[in-house]
Amino acid sequence: MSPARFPRTPPGPGPVTPFAFPPVHAARLDAGLEVRTARRHGVPLVTALLVMDAGEATVAGPRAGLAVLSGKALHGGTVHRSAVELACALEDMGTHLATSTGWDSTVVSLTCAVDRFPRALRLLSEVVLTPGYPGEEVERTREQQLGGIRQRRMYPAQLATAAAARFFFAEGTTYGRPMAGTEGTVAGLERTHVTDYAASRYRPHGAALIVAGDVAKVEVTDLAAECFGSWRGRATTVEATAGPRFGERRIVIVHRPGAVQSELRIGHASVPRATPDFFPLIVLNSVLGGAFTSRLNLNLREDKGFTYGVSSRFLLRRAGGMFRIATAVATEVTAAAVREVLAETEALVASGPTPAEVRGARDYLAGIFPLSMETTAQVASGIARVFVHGLSADHHARFRERVRAVKVEDVARAARSRLHPDALTVVVAGDADRVAPELEPLGPVEVHHDF
Amino acid sequence: MISVPCEEHRLENGLRIVLSPEPSVPIVAVNLWYDVGSRNEGSGQTGLAHLFEHMMFQGSRHVAGNQHFELLEGVGGSANASTWFDRTNYYETLPSHHLELALWLEADRMGWMLPALTAEKLENQRDVVKNERRQRYDNQPYGDWDERMLAMVYPPDHPYRHPVIGSLEDIDGFTLGDLESFFRAYYAPDNAVLTICGGFESTRALQWIKRYFGDIPPGAGTRMIPGDADAERENQVDANQTVEADVPLTRVYAGMRVPAFDDPAFHATDVAGDILGRGRASRLHHSLVLEQRLAKDVAAHVFPLMTGAAMMLVQATGNVGVDPEELAAAVVGQIDGLGTISSEDVARAVAMAETAILGQLEVAAQRADLLSMFATQFGDPARISTEIDRLRAVTPEAVETLVGERLGPENRAILTYVPRASA
Repeated sequence: MSPARFPRTPPGPGPVTPFAFPPVHAARLDAGLEVRTARRHGVPLVTALLVMDAGEATVAGPRAGLAVLSGKALHGGTVHRSAVELACALEDMGTHLATSTGWDSTVVSLTCAVDRFPRALRLLSEVVLTPGYPGEEVERTREQQLGGIRQRRMYPAQLATAAAARFFFAEGTTYGRPMAGTEGTVAGLERTHVTDYAASRYRPHGAALIVAGDVAKVEVTDLAAECFGSWRGRATTVEATAGPRFGERRIVIVHRPGAVQSELRIGHASVPRATPDFFPLIVLNSVLGGAFTSRLNLNLREDKGFTYGVSSRFLLRRAGGMFRIATAVATEVTAAAVREVLAETEALVASGPTPAEVRGARDYLAGIFPLSMETTAQVASGIARVFVHGLSADHHARFRERVRAVKVEDVARAARSRLHPDALTVVVAGDADRVAPELEPLGPVEVHHDF
Repeated sequence: MISVPCEEHRLENGLRIVLSPEPSVPIVAVNLWYDVGSRNEGSGQTGLAHLFEHMMFQGSRHVAGNQHFELLEGVGGSANASTWFDRTNYYETLPSHHLELALWLEADRMGWMLPALTAEKLENQRDVVKNERRQRYDNQPYGDWDERMLAMVYPPDHPYRHPVIGSLEDIDGFTLGDLESFFRAYYAPDNAVLTICGGFESTRALQWIKRYFGDIPPGAGTRMIPGDADAERENQVDANQTVEADVPLTRVYAGMRVPAFDDPAFHATDVAGDILGRGRASRLHHSLVLEQRLAKDVAAHVFPLMTGAAMMLVQATGNVGVDPEELAAAVVGQIDGLGTISSEDVARAVAMAETAILGQLEVAAQRADLLSMFATQFGDPARISTEIDRLRAVTPEAVETLVGERLGPENRAILTYVPRASA
């Protein structure tokens, strides 16, 4: 038995320590490159992140995978250095270059100790302004991309995620295709496609250099001018397309004979990132499946023991987004788990959240926000999102205030307008022979043997 | 260059406390290391430490099941735990002004977890853990690599012989009695380190700690590390294994027993691993990926294990159609090549490690975890500020000596996965 002096109820809060997102200083080079600097003291690290309007959405369908390939092949070296020389030069400074291509941008970035930053940024600019793209490195990178596409079917989680994109969005839409391309499109990519792509899309107008860390903004602007001052040109605007594939509930099984688990992805197409509903949507998501104590996790994991975890997300992009619930469950409880997911979604749309749930979700989101902005890399990535999606400049500074302003009615309305239980597409990567019969009562089932 | 604030205290019941205050920071990280892991499990008990970790979230004397997460998420905190060979850690990061809540929650389950333990909760978490095993091991290409590799690298009665997750058979067999005796032996203030990092004030925090943890009695029960941590592998009969499995590509793992984390030669081992396989300039990447085009990706890593011997793990995933023996020979060739090391090799590895350490220090939760680690395993949390110096002191000769003594053919286990021939 616990001693009498141990309090039986949880202690309350003390005085609040304010959190301030570092002020973002904005400048612009003559050729159009935006420069954003956020200074913060502490650990002597700096992150530089160059974000360019070179996402996979800028590529036409027959060349799908080209933006990804062009980004990855930057590691092949520059006109002055081979791949190995580039890697050694970076790692001698204790850093490495990360290239990341999504639907909406290609980002080239590095994080290094502050005293090595000027040299590191010069190297980053050399990579982007004068990429070497040696033939054999482009070919090697392409083979790796092809390998990744071919091997996807062996990884149930990746397979289910890829199937979700394909079946949530309409055929022929940008977001309905696999982001890294297909075997067919990638096999057809040549070195000249890559060099042409980089020449047309890696341009300062429409791009931004974002620097976060223990550096003065004036140093950054001077250094940016030195490193990127000669860079010229503008990338043309390309609009992505997005739209739902099905108007009613569908069950799509990607057959994996003998699978001990079913990977589930349940969702539908949704709104763009710049939606005015953003704050109600993240609160809604937190209530449904965005937190450990969400309705879905408490039901499927903690009550039923069906899964190690379940989560939901709104993945919002420039031209549209998706709402997606993800989990993995034992084969024998697949239909039972799907039923619970559908019922929880329906209940939230029909009855809305409780005031306590909304209060909890608001406090949770406002509270964890500083935790998501601890590192220079996190701060720089946050500023990049503001740039890419055209969000208001005070998005991060006012994030907590705006989350706290979300009302129960806002969330209920967002649930009704942005969740469509009758139009959920249920993607199952699992053993169709065992799960299909039990899923049939829930909606029309289609089985894909060769996805 | 770096100086992480660090104060040490100890309660009468044996609880060690590390405080690292930076009062202006709006978040605070609480981290508890219990000096228990899978190495403490006997035969038939594999997976007990990890299952127990799950049970610690199912409620305690004053906290209902799931209320731990509810209370923390409700104030904007995040919480989790992990079980490893040598330790189990529990941690939460939350807004600074809610520090007292996290301390109350941790104290309640350290002191009074057993009154809330029920058979129903055990059954539920048994299912969750079995799903975790299915998801991470059984439904995953190469998912059983560590189970296989540990059994090759460590002899039969070594405490690291079995993986942390345990066997389904053992997990099925645990009773409430097993959990109770495990708790009484290991979940005690004299077997734990409590660290707080970030926005708080020391005097106030110590008052709370004394109030909440001060009356928890020290452990009652035998703590042990079954088996023989110093046992040598007797022969090389099982040192090579080829597995045909549902994997997309051929992959070679090489495992080597190396000096334990607290051995003075550990840092040279770490540098050797980095020269071999960390980054695009590493020898494996340079040779196998860029020059010979045998591999798609490569990696080398040293697990910082304390009990008898640590493990260096090297892996190379082959390109489509690679000859498995050629890939294995290429990996072994690079390990052999480590006999010659330049000062540039060492300087590059140390520069990369420095940035990685700085990156960990940026995050309050990681700082707290490192402080708990150094306090638990070295009795000295302040090592966090001098770890970079120890890496900088590594010489090419020290790496060469380590390689000569510990990475030779007699101490290598090679595990090769080959894609199953399609029917």
